[in-house]
Amino acid sequence: MANLTLSPEDNPSQHPTPTLSGNSQLWIGSFQAMASDCEILMEGCNENIASKLLRVAAKETWRIEHKFSRYVAGNIIDQINTSQGQTLEVDAETASLLNFAEQCYQLSEGLFDISSGVLRKIWQFDGSNQIPNSTQIQEVLKKVGWDKVDWKPPLLTLKTDMQLDFGGLGKEYAVDRAVLALCTEIKNQKTSFVVNFGGDLACSGPRLNGTPWTIGVESSERDASSVATVSLSQGAVATSGDSRRYLLKNGTRYSHILNPLTGESIVDAPHAISVAAPNCMQAGMLSTFAMLHGVQAEEFIEAQGLQYWVQR
Amino acid sequence: MQLISRKQGSTSIRKIKKIAPALAAASCSLLSVASSDVLARGEAGTWDFEVASLFYSEADDRVMAAEPVFSATKTFEDGEVLNLKAVFDTLTGASPNGATPSAAPQTFTKPSGNGTYDIAAGDAPIDDTFQDTRVALSASWLAPINRDWEYNAAFYGSKEYDYLSIGTSGGFKRYLNNKNTALNFGLSFSFDNIEPEGDIAKPLAKMGFDDASFDVSRDGSSDSKTIIDALFGVTQVINRNTIMQFNYSVSLSDGYLTDPFKILSVIDDTTGGNFVEGGNNVYLYEARPDSRMKHSLYWQTKYALSNGDVIDGSYRFMLDDWGINSHTFDFRYRWQLGSSYLEPHLRYYIQSEADFYKPYITETEYLAGNLQEATADYRLGDLDGMTVGLKYGHKLDNDTEFNMRVEYYLQTSSGDDGFGLLKDQDLYPDTKALIFQVGYSF
Repeated sequence: MANLTLSPEDNPSQHPTPTLSGNSQLWIGSFQAMASDCEILMEGCNENIASKLLRVAAKETWRIEHKFSRYVAGNIIDQINTSQGQTLEVDAETASLLNFAEQCYQLSEGLFDISSGVLRKIWQFDGSNQIPNSTQIQEVLKKVGWDKVDWKPPLLTLKTDMQLDFGGLGKEYAVDRAVLALCTEIKNQKTSFVVNFGGDLACSGPRLNGTPWTIGVESSERDASSVATVSLSQGAVATSGDSRRYLLKNGTRYSHILNPLTGESIVDAPHAISVAAPNCMQAGMLSTFAMLHGVQAEEFIEAQGLQYWVQR
Repeated sequence: MQLISRKQGSTSIRKIKKIAPALAAASCSLLSVASSDVLARGEAGTWDFEVASLFYSEADDRVMAAEPVFSATKTFEDGEVLNLKAVFDTLTGASPNGATPSAAPQTFTKPSGNGTYDIAAGDAPIDDTFQDTRVALSASWLAPINRDWEYNAAFYGSKEYDYLSIGTSGGFKRYLNNKNTALNFGLSFSFDNIEPEGDIAKPLAKMGFDDASFDVSRDGSSDSKTIIDALFGVTQVINRNTIMQFNYSVSLSDGYLTDPFKILSVIDDTTGGNFVEGGNNVYLYEARPDSRMKHSLYWQTKYALSNGDVIDGSYRFMLDDWGINSHTFDFRYRWQLGSSYLEPHLRYYIQSEADFYKPYITETEYLAGNLQEATADYRLGDLDGMTVGLKYGHKLDNDTEFNMRVEYYLQTSSGDDGFGLLKDQDLYPDTKALIFQVGYSF
């Protein structure tokens, strides 16, 4: 197993160095980002190229994490959230993410909303039975709603007290960006790979022998040791689940997925939904939207005409 | 907004819609935007350097040039870009003086007036006293004014032994349609001064073969010209793969536009050999109009293929009030091979002659003495040029690139074949040149 070093500029959040193991049959590169184990499986290349690819993927992922994480002081998200109602001009990449988030808001009829993060202030999923009351909810809902955001690309004006975060799409975006960065690096060479960031994954195509990749993803069943496998020969698979984080009160299980329209926890949603789609953004959004449909999750995902797996 | 009482139940019943196709389109559009790190070069706060060396060599011991170039570019936080560039040229070799080849050996006075040089019978008359070193320095500045407007400004100066050129330019760029369209407006001004050794020749004066007659042909020690260029351009992103550019430019030169080293042969009306006066062949110094207005139209299209290859084609049409018009077709294909690329290049140029272009002057025209302008410079005659080249570039780790380029240039001229003895001479020899360049950017 080899440790790779990246320059401090390429590792702005000072993560541990990526490690590369395996052999010329299959290289396994691992690193940490976005509170997930990130893995790159590669075949058809030598160790030098595998190290280079792993470096490229880590660099791009860490760049995205550092640029869009709501925990990094001074980045664009922090600037937006501390803008105090001042208009900000955002860069092209941020603008494209905001445009995408706006389309998701419209397509989900308000269920997916990047301004909904403030709801977490009243919904503390600590395993307790602390359920917020409706007065608290109505108070917080005043600060939620993409329709209250003034977005005229590339100018963004966010009301004081409102917050945006890309937590709901950042990991999927990083997966797709890592795939693009790796494809650019590989060009026409005969190398095949899978990017797996904590269960959100995408591949460059089937394995070199033509068979699909088989990836183990941690199931969100209560039995944490059980592992589901996903076969993937093209595109991406993303999973949304309740992560076994919930509140229990009077026998009702309140999941950590919150409805930004009502400020309520979604109940009766499945434990997890996985969706296969051409790219990870699409897969991730569809599985998230499905969860937000609660009891109608299966009905929603069935209507999309894509392959999916539901864990109730 | 739906507000549901918690007592009634957990979720409202929603009408389910199929949104996967719309979401697919949205995600593709998101991922088609280059992430800001794709272009690591040009990152704020860093200097990018480029060093290159160009070697140009014409066949038959004619002009040879070596040209090292140093360029440094700095991109600032707010998007300003500063570029500084230095070019050093060394030119050696010989260049056609404009006279026709002859069945008899020919003798010419050097442009400096210090002595003569001889050309054997049948050979193209070339002046081998031609040698020069040039230093050119330039600085350019580009900066956004706001999100729709950008301005640029540049200064330029070059100096060689007998020539000085200084210039300045400025322009504006206006972005429209979410930066899918850009309008360019540019204006430049330059001033050139020539001070040849042996002074400036009088227009159409006879070449002197002794000090007294050489002095008669002189007309002051220096002369100058000014050039004003204006450009209007549109750059349009057509789709994800295609970008197109369309420019119109007009250029006005004013002042001394003649080449003081170029001459014309006077040809005997009856024999087709050189016309002789006082025991010497008659050669006249050329004369060009003192102003020139050029219009040019330029169209370029770049198309990126899904495999990363790029096709780049362009066409230029130029028209001036000297009667010259020219067409330039240029085609490049950039073929990506992993971290390297190969770029074949094909260029075709065709030009019609200037109204006052003459491969020679006849005895009758000379004796009548009413010619105002004449040049035998092949660069103002009918000509075709073809360039075939190949460039190879290799991207190394840490964002540096090595590249080399080899090009072969063939130029053929055509025109009136003359009469009598002149018919046996090759009045329009081909120009062949080999160009080799190596570069490294870091």
